[in-house]
Amino acid sequence: MRSSFFKIFILALIISLLGVLSIYSSTFQKLGAWQNIYMRQMLWLIIGLACFFIFSGINYRKLWDANYFIYAAALFFLFLVFALGIIRLGAQRWLRFAWFNFQPSEFAKLAVIIFLARYFSRKSVNDTSLLSGKFGIFRGIILPFIFVAIPMFLIIEQPDLGSGLMLMLIFVCLLYLTNVRLRYISVFLSLIILPLPFLWNFLHDYQKQRLLVFLNPNIDPLGAGYTIIQSKIAIGSGGFFGRGWLAGTQSQLYFLPESHTDFIFATFSEQWGFLGSCLLILMYYLIIRQGFLIAQRTQDTFGKLLAYGISLLLALQVSINIAMNMGLAPVVGLPLPLMSYGGSSILTTFIALGILVSIDRTRTVF
Amino acid sequence: MERKNILNLIIIITFAVLLIGLLNLDILQGSKFRKLSDSNSIRLISQSGARGNILDRNGEIIVGSKISYDVMILPEEPSHVGYLLSRISHILKIELGQLKAALKKNFISSSVPVVIASNIDLKKAILLGEYRAEEPSIIITPKPLRNYPHGSLAAHVVGYVNQIDRWRLTKLEDYGYKTKDIVGFGGVEEKYDYYLRQEEGGQSVEVNHRGQFMRVLGFQAPTNGRDIQLTLDLKIQKIVEDSMAGRKGSAILMDPQDGQILALASYPNFNPAVFVNNRSSLIAGLINNPDAPLINRSISSSYPPASVFKMIVASAALELKKIDTSTSFLCQGSTMVGARKYSCWDTHGRQNIFQAVAHSCDIFFYRTGLLAGAQNIHDYALKLGLGKNVGFELPYETSGFIPSPLWRKLNKFQSWFDGDTANLAIGQGDCLVTPLQATNMMAVFANGGFLTSPYIVRAVGGLDFSTKKKKLIPVKFKQSTFNTIISGLRKVVSDPEGTGNALSSLPVKVAGKTGTAQVARKATHAWFLGFFPFDKPKFVICIFLEHGGPGHTASVVAKQIIAEMDKQGLI
Repeated sequence: MRSSFFKIFILALIISLLGVLSIYSSTFQKLGAWQNIYMRQMLWLIIGLACFFIFSGINYRKLWDANYFIYAAALFFLFLVFALGIIRLGAQRWLRFAWFNFQPSEFAKLAVIIFLARYFSRKSVNDTSLLSGKFGIFRGIILPFIFVAIPMFLIIEQPDLGSGLMLMLIFVCLLYLTNVRLRYISVFLSLIILPLPFLWNFLHDYQKQRLLVFLNPNIDPLGAGYTIIQSKIAIGSGGFFGRGWLAGTQSQLYFLPESHTDFIFATFSEQWGFLGSCLLILMYYLIIRQGFLIAQRTQDTFGKLLAYGISLLLALQVSINIAMNMGLAPVVGLPLPLMSYGGSSILTTFIALGILVSIDRTRTVF
Repeated sequence: MERKNILNLIIIITFAVLLIGLLNLDILQGSKFRKLSDSNSIRLISQSGARGNILDRNGEIIVGSKISYDVMILPEEPSHVGYLLSRISHILKIELGQLKAALKKNFISSSVPVVIASNIDLKKAILLGEYRAEEPSIIITPKPLRNYPHGSLAAHVVGYVNQIDRWRLTKLEDYGYKTKDIVGFGGVEEKYDYYLRQEEGGQSVEVNHRGQFMRVLGFQAPTNGRDIQLTLDLKIQKIVEDSMAGRKGSAILMDPQDGQILALASYPNFNPAVFVNNRSSLIAGLINNPDAPLINRSISSSYPPASVFKMIVASAALELKKIDTSTSFLCQGSTMVGARKYSCWDTHGRQNIFQAVAHSCDIFFYRTGLLAGAQNIHDYALKLGLGKNVGFELPYETSGFIPSPLWRKLNKFQSWFDGDTANLAIGQGDCLVTPLQATNMMAVFANGGFLTSPYIVRAVGGLDFSTKKKKLIPVKFKQSTFNTIISGLRKVVSDPEGTGNALSSLPVKVAGKTGTAQVARKATHAWFLGFFPFDKPKFVICIFLEHGGPGHTASVVAKQIIAEMDKQGLI
């Protein structure tokens, strides 16, 4: 089905080009290396598009076979980050390569989705029913949770609470979709949620502060609440039509921190206003909707779960990031897929979209 | 419902919530956030214009403005401010503690520039300007300051400027005055403040999160105040003040034909510049000085006129035909009025009106006064402009006081006795006049029958008001009365025995009258009122010396002034 390929390709391209424009606008007044940051993003975009074409061309069923390798590679990189963090006595989220930083947590999100899709489906393409319906609580929940918990722990330890919780959310959503008994899910969720008040003590100070500040940004307007306040001002000052490209004072005059990464939505919204932001959210929704349609059309359970997982990953990241920009969610450090500056995020997202298209293309083969 | 549909629904709801949140921020609260955004990045830096100059009649600047520089900083980052202050302190050679104190005192909010040092000179401003390239949160603005090129010259006429006080602020709020405005106190500065006042302009600039300057968004040029031209002649003023220096009292020179004040001095005086620099110790010294240097003695204090009042008694008696030029009284040094003995300051023998004026014989005027009657003397004094405000432009004018039997009865429930009339006739008792009133009275005799309205402001902002200010009220005395008194006044100087004979040696013919006012337990006040040149009077002069001794000392001061004016060719 070529139509889904084109729809996803066009939408993703438009969104990421808007992302490049926003990155340019938020950094063009800054000095030195910052000014070239949009060039790097362009480069990542080109590589990302290449990946998109490659992954949409190859049969996604190959992932079934490569599954354990992918999972192991993800764990390896996460361990590497973990180990380097200990050696250098400092937290870090990325691995330094020749000329770029690789952020394994982005990659791990996709790896976990592939792993879970593989875990809950059968190898036989003739039997399309899900395994999990027959699973007990151990094979249905506890075992897969252990596989999710290992990378999750490593990511939270980085510390990257947002990405870690993202894995958790995807796991719960996929559990729900794989027809694991609701009873099990609710027992599992209550086991997770009940000890949260005790886990509070294990959070880093800045993480606690971010959660408190989310509840009331004004408790610390110059510290942790600053970002939320400035981000809300940036979005709100856009008004209906926005302040125009390169005319946003909040993002360009440094008032808004992280204006080219986590808070790129605020940067975009300040310049393009309510109208532009609505269109952007709509475009994101259309991509996610394509993902859901592909999942529904697919008979193969592996492909189906994979498509759901990728769509959910996108939907959760987009909605949490935008909610965080508008002060509706705590600041957890999640990039906005396709828009935020960062090679790992761009690449992972385009690979995921490529897989999505590939699922839709291969579907007809069976 | 299938689980996938529920999940789909949840995602649709989530996105709808995002849109509603966007609607709330952008549309419902949009204008609020737009304002917040602007206040984040837009700063107003005000720039004040220059207060109007005060010029003398020839356009020479009495009070002007000079440019000084204010150093301001944007105190956005507390940790950075300390470093900044220490660097500024190093460059300006001002103590760090002083800068910190100024910052603390003037701080409003972290987004408003704070003045930390004012009145720095050009050289330091340039030095600091170079440093600004590294530290853009330093702002240097030019600020015009009051400048007094002649120091304390004409200080009482111009007044001084200072920060507005609470009393003035409540009065002037409706006219756009604000706290911390610089306004005039006393003199022309106060009276014409509204015209002299500059309008503030400024620029709005865009700054980044550290308060660093990014670009100028707009600029409104400040407007300078309007210049005010006075009728004063700086050359004459200088001569007058040189002669008055070290004394206490007042000196006025006026054009008798139209009431233009040519010089007006009050001593002791003050230097208005101390208020500009806010030198609090010097200001306290001025305020606590028992000689009250801030008081303008020419208009704000009144004194017994003593013998200069005799002109009024003479006019009244002549006009009422109680005496004529042939009337004479015998002065034997004293006379009895009622049961009390009233003495003269000398024994003059037989005196007619000309002699009596020339010698300032008290006996003659006791008698004349009794003939004319106290109420008539009071009425004639009022006709000649005493006992009421002359309506002068400078603030805080006092009206003086002329007693009368009627007043005494109404206000004190006491009777008026002949002794009181005798006292009034020689300008003692309750009688009080200001030096300006005395000058104005003398002008009537100098110009031959017009009461002038003295004025000192000639033009505002280049618009000449002198024709409107010139108000002459005819004083309908008989010509013979004027002639009699004027020739008596001339005799004061020309008669070898005249009290003002000291002035006879001048190349200009002067007419005048001296006065020696008795004060309880202190030295007498000295008066000299005169006009010159006698044939065609161009100047009325009034010298008043507080506790300055006999009238003779005042006439000596007048002589100095007239001689110097003659030397400089000003007559």
